[in-house]
Amino acid sequence: MRTVKIHYALIVSACSLCAFSSSAQKAPTLTDPEIASVAVTANQVDISYAEIAQKKSKDVSVIEFAQTMAKDHKGVIDQAVALVTKLGVTPKDNDVSKQLNADAEKTKENLNAKTGKDFDKAYIDNEVAYHKAVISTVEDVLIPQSQNAELKGLLQQVLPVLKTHLDHAIMVQGKIK
Amino acid sequence: MNSDLNCIWRVIYIMLPGIILISCNPQKQKAIPVKHIIEIKEMRFQPAELSVHAGDTVEWINRDFVDHDVTEENKKEWSSTPLAAGKSWHRVITKSAGYYCSIHQVMKGKLLVE
Repeated sequence: MRTVKIHYALIVSACSLCAFSSSAQKAPTLTDPEIASVAVTANQVDISYAEIAQKKSKDVSVIEFAQTMAKDHKGVIDQAVALVTKLGVTPKDNDVSKQLNADAEKTKENLNAKTGKDFDKAYIDNEVAYHKAVISTVEDVLIPQSQNAELKGLLQQVLPVLKTHLDHAIMVQGKIK
Repeated sequence: MNSDLNCIWRVIYIMLPGIILISCNPQKQKAIPVKHIIEIKEMRFQPAELSVHAGDTVEWINRDFVDHDVTEENKKEWSSTPLAAGKSWHRVITKSAGYYCSIHQVMKGKLLVE
């Protein structure tokens, strides 16, 4: 029962994104400053998971994956910050970014409660679910709703990075099972 | 005098087919090394598979905004340093090899020496 609860909590943040991207009816309408905020928050959340993994895991493939996540997602944030600065846009908090942060706190709490192989499995399972959800959100909500061509272009550029992260996470998931 | 000339002509007559064969056989000629470019773009090596001749140079250029590297896959016999956006690395290729990006381990490429 406890395991079920923990696994449920670990995929909460991924599911919050799923809920936003699963149907056009549920998809929130976001302005460009709000889209920028969601993009930055989603990357910050994954960096925070990677920081936990780098501290807690002893598995080389998990640590290497976490290092890549921390570096790449920081790179995406740097690109996003450079663009909004150039455009004179201030990222604006919204329901999606708030929900992402709230769910990330629950996920981090649960990850921090785990050790050893249980931690590795929980971290990688969450990475697979989270990247699937982020990819759907970027494809179905953020790109279609972006008004500024450069913002849309950046999101399109980020998509193959996210898809490669998902494939990498699935590969690591297969190794640690 | 005549016998000397005859001797020279006989030598030329005997050697000529061999000289022609050697100079016309392309397999005996060494190909001039050329440089090939592989772009690392949209998280893929493009082209992912490349045929080269031994001694050719292959240059990898990172067109993505995230770092990549180029590492021989089987025994990690060779590897670049991490390549930041816009940076490149080259290597003279002497044998066929599979390679990958050790940062994004699902990104793979192949060099085939003909």
